[in-house]
Amino acid sequence: MPAPGGGDVTLFRDLAFDVGAGEVVDVTGPSGSGKSSMLTAVARLNPHATAAMALDGVPAERYDPQRWRAAVAYLPQRPTLTGASVAEAIRLPWTLAVRDGTGDADDGASGRQRRFPRIRTGGDRRARHLLPDERIRATLDALGCSDIELERPPHELSGGQAARVALARTLLTGPRVLLADEVDAGLDDDNAARVAAVMAQAAGRGMAVVRIRHRPPDGLAARVLTLDGGRLTAQAIGTAARTAVPGRAEGPGGAFRPDGATDRGDAGDARRPGGARHDDEEKAVAA
Amino acid sequence: MTTGTYYAIDVWGLLAAMLMVAVAAGVSGLMRLGVGRTLLWSACRALLQLCAMGLVIGVVIRSGSPWPVVALIAVMLAAGVQITLSRAKGVPKGLAGPVFLALTVTMLLMLALVAELIVRPTPWYSAQLVVPLAGMLLGNTVSALAVGLTRFFESMRERRDETAMLLALGATRWEAARPSVVSSIRLGMLPTTASLASSGIVTIPGMMAGQVIAGGNPLDAAKYQFVILAAIAALTLLADTIIMLLVYRVCFTADDRIR
Repeated sequence: MPAPGGGDVTLFRDLAFDVGAGEVVDVTGPSGSGKSSMLTAVARLNPHATAAMALDGVPAERYDPQRWRAAVAYLPQRPTLTGASVAEAIRLPWTLAVRDGTGDADDGASGRQRRFPRIRTGGDRRARHLLPDERIRATLDALGCSDIELERPPHELSGGQAARVALARTLLTGPRVLLADEVDAGLDDDNAARVAAVMAQAAGRGMAVVRIRHRPPDGLAARVLTLDGGRLTAQAIGTAARTAVPGRAEGPGGAFRPDGATDRGDAGDARRPGGARHDDEEKAVAA
Repeated sequence: MTTGTYYAIDVWGLLAAMLMVAVAAGVSGLMRLGVGRTLLWSACRALLQLCAMGLVIGVVIRSGSPWPVVALIAVMLAAGVQITLSRAKGVPKGLAGPVFLALTVTMLLMLALVAELIVRPTPWYSAQLVVPLAGMLLGNTVSALAVGLTRFFESMRERRDETAMLLALGATRWEAARPSVVSSIRLGMLPTTASLASSGIVTIPGMMAGQVIAGGNPLDAAKYQFVILAAIAALTLLADTIIMLLVYRVCFTADDRIR
């Protein structure tokens, strides 16, 4: 990453982990250790990081960026809601070409890019058809937002409400992997528990969930990954042991596997000078 | 066209105009407005540049060859690129190519459609028609592009969180940049649409005014003016669209990440 005073800073290098379908994994670590950078790298949103990844055994390069991000959804810590109403904000993903269901799935996995931007019309009506009010209502109610009317302008929401509306928006798109960046940070305990319950349900339907969290463990995650000093260590809940087990076996639904996420540091690696990149099967993961 | 009387301006006329500017600058000095010096300096510059342009157009008209016309328009285009880039604030480097392309494409369309299809002068390269047309179009597109580029990059900076959110939800870079593109084109087009709507009621646009003063038939002058205004408005929108399509991807990496 570019450092504030010029040059580059390397946050992490050669991280590796995998997440199974239906699994919940928590990521902790001191602030500034690069947790968000790691998740944006996994969502192929971070311009300063490279990663070798696979989803269902299909390498990331075989997906175009839009398909990959629709399947591996990053939910930023700061909620951004657009449009005149909560319903419009939540329908935004269905106005995008990646979800218009017009056969773009064919070139989706080939990594080809459309050369010219497409001008589309009728997006709102299609979005309303694909995502009816009732589904939005049910999701918001489950997240403890039964007091938010769908017609309410998004800027009137409190920080905690906006965070849950943004979560509802991403959950409703049904990604294979949810990368949630401190979604429950601004919530009281009751609502944090509701959010956790909804994520547990989503995991029960096969969604892999990776959460950056600072709250005390809520018993949902099977593993906790700690990112500190550029190293990722894993801890299975209940054993309190920090272990690094090479070559973890894929679970039955083995969904997602980023290997060797590396934050490009061109001007040198402050923490691990000469640390070479390796793409072998070493994973800092305890099952 | 020159059926009526033509009133020439002599040196005393120029001096009188300069005197008006000097008086205005003096008033500004007394009231400490701080614009007097700039006003005087700009007036002197304008006088020199306009007289030089008048001399050059005169030479080009008398030359009776298309090449001086082409050369003059090329110089005007180059100056247009330079002025666009110097007026646009907070834009990345390396935009000279796209700006040149947008100005050139619209200029060629202007000359092909308005000069050769609608007016059809003889000879076809008539500097008397082509050079003023080029100047009027450039005056409009240059300021529209400068405003549009400034607004686009400003909007992309303001919308950084929104752009990141859109990309995370699977938007293409075009979908993520579109709101900024729309707002910048709207702002860039504002003066053009406003001048279209107000012409003839509030203002008599420069070209029509010039023809009327030069003794032309006012209705002919009005028709001429409409053709020019309509063409300029359409081509300004085209220039803005071209520049946005060429430039919006500067904000993204090859695989649609925010730079």
